[in-house]
Amino acid sequence: MNTIVGSRKGKIRKLLRDIRTDRALYALLIPGIVYFILFHYIPMFGVTYAFREYSVVKGPGEWVGLEVFQKLFSRISFQRAFENNVIISLLKLVCGFPVPIILSLMINEIRRSVPKKLIQTAVILPNFISWFIISGLLFAMFNVTSGAIPGIIRWLQPDAVVTNVLTDKNSIRAVVIISYVWQAAGMGTIVYLAAITGIDQQLYEAAMIDGAGKWKQMWHITLASLRSTIIILFIFRVGSVMDAGFDQIFALSNPLVVSKIDIIDTYVYKTGIEQARFSEATAAGLFKSTIGLTLVLLTNSIAKRIDSDSGII
Amino acid sequence: MRQKKNKKIRRSKGERIGYFLICLTLGLFAFTTVYPVWHVIMYSLSDSKRAMSGGFFFWPRGLDLKGYELIFKTSQIWVAYKNSILVTLLGTVFSVTLSAITAYPLSRKRLRGRGFISLAIFFTMLFSGGMIPLYLQVYRLGLINTFWSMILPTAMSAYNMFILRNYMQSIPESLEESARIDGANDVIILFRIYLPLCTPALAAVAMFYGVGYWNNYMNCLLYTNTNELQVLPLYLRGVLGGAAANALSASGDTSSLGEAAALTEETLKMTVVAVSVVPIIIAYPYLQRYYTKGITIGAVKG
Repeated sequence: MNTIVGSRKGKIRKLLRDIRTDRALYALLIPGIVYFILFHYIPMFGVTYAFREYSVVKGPGEWVGLEVFQKLFSRISFQRAFENNVIISLLKLVCGFPVPIILSLMINEIRRSVPKKLIQTAVILPNFISWFIISGLLFAMFNVTSGAIPGIIRWLQPDAVVTNVLTDKNSIRAVVIISYVWQAAGMGTIVYLAAITGIDQQLYEAAMIDGAGKWKQMWHITLASLRSTIIILFIFRVGSVMDAGFDQIFALSNPLVVSKIDIIDTYVYKTGIEQARFSEATAAGLFKSTIGLTLVLLTNSIAKRIDSDSGII
Repeated sequence: MRQKKNKKIRRSKGERIGYFLICLTLGLFAFTTVYPVWHVIMYSLSDSKRAMSGGFFFWPRGLDLKGYELIFKTSQIWVAYKNSILVTLLGTVFSVTLSAITAYPLSRKRLRGRGFISLAIFFTMLFSGGMIPLYLQVYRLGLINTFWSMILPTAMSAYNMFILRNYMQSIPESLEESARIDGANDVIILFRIYLPLCTPALAAVAMFYGVGYWNNYMNCLLYTNTNELQVLPLYLRGVLGGAAANALSASGDTSSLGEAAALTEETLKMTVVAVSVVPIIIAYPYLQRYYTKGITIGAVKG
């Protein structure tokens, strides 16, 4: 029997033996693996459509190298989608990322537990609601004829001319950002609150004895303890910066404002699903995914440089 | 008489103002979260004409249920509701089960290839082929215009699976060992011992999947094109788009044509929004606890 350690035959025998011992575990894994192969990995190989001509009638055609990308980048509609994507995403990041942190710090200060719980309940409610309902709520608040806000404005100043913020190019981005922050703040707030409750109370008492006021306590204890959570969430957030929010944009889009809020994902939908221009749509999607991946790896390595324990990879 | 200890902490004026501002801000935020839903419900219950001037609604202006009558008479909303409920229930059960049986083996340190498989699954969180290749794959699998096309493509979320895996990892291995000594095999260990212990994580993941399925309209939008499979968000989209609202008021009972005319498009829209959101509001207090706990578990262990 060949039992030399490190010999190939021995290794394979051991591998097969381990698989046999754990065969029930591997069996349990099969459905999950099949799922990921079918719906994630095979489509990943589908990105080759971005490099070939694809016709609905004939199927995949010949390889054309980067021609599809060249065509794609020259289209004004794509350039516009890309520009909107980046601007909206960055605005969402800048406005939306600090809000849960601030909210959680504020909620943490509330002394009585009943209002505290009520606020937490109110804060996550928007998370439960689909974007079409939210667009309905926005309609209820802002539509010029019967909305809540225009009604108030007209009550205060009967001659006021009120613009419909939902169909006005100049205001639509603000609507997108603000409604996004409103909807997403709850999730992050709860995460930070959970992390805050894990902080040792004695740290605060020690700091108070040392004469630290509220602000110093918050900065050096609360925020410092939240640091690794913040960094991880930030990395994930940056990685998905190319995801400007299909659900929201699709629900809020109308012909009057689409030039300002169309993003790559909605562009891919229109080009690929509605117009069946598969090559270009796939190319746009591939472009977006690649940038996203690069950003995550980049942010992760930067984070690791600052603090080697942080990061998700 | 025992002297009561003075428990009041002396707070500076600055701190008191700060506290007041915090309460004010949080109160305003909570108001913006709650009021729009209230407004929509009140509007939908109001007489159409009186509601038209807009402004704030604290009570219905002239109780009027015509909007609801009309909506409930049409059958499409019931179809949409039925589909949403079915997709959510079946999808959640399917997804939670799939995630649990995938998470368990990956939580066992002795499994050969565990690192590789976990990494491969993690990678799907960072990169994807995109909407079009996925659509073509669903098409190739013959799932277009089927009920399962709304569940299978998003059957498992790597994120949720990892939450379960990490939770299972935190259960002491000695439990498994002693069960094995008693003669149990892997499958029994999973179902009889580990799963019952994982109830908090399972509830959390079930919540995430549940809310996800309920609000997801992309699968239905991309992979189906028949009214019979329509889900609630897309029905709402049709009504808010205006065309369906006109069709609805036009389809109102011809005998009550006068009443149908009194029903404005806005009232109809508000009614449909209300009908979509009220079930969430009703279920919310019960579900919110699990959702919050779920986010906490996911955050701490994730």
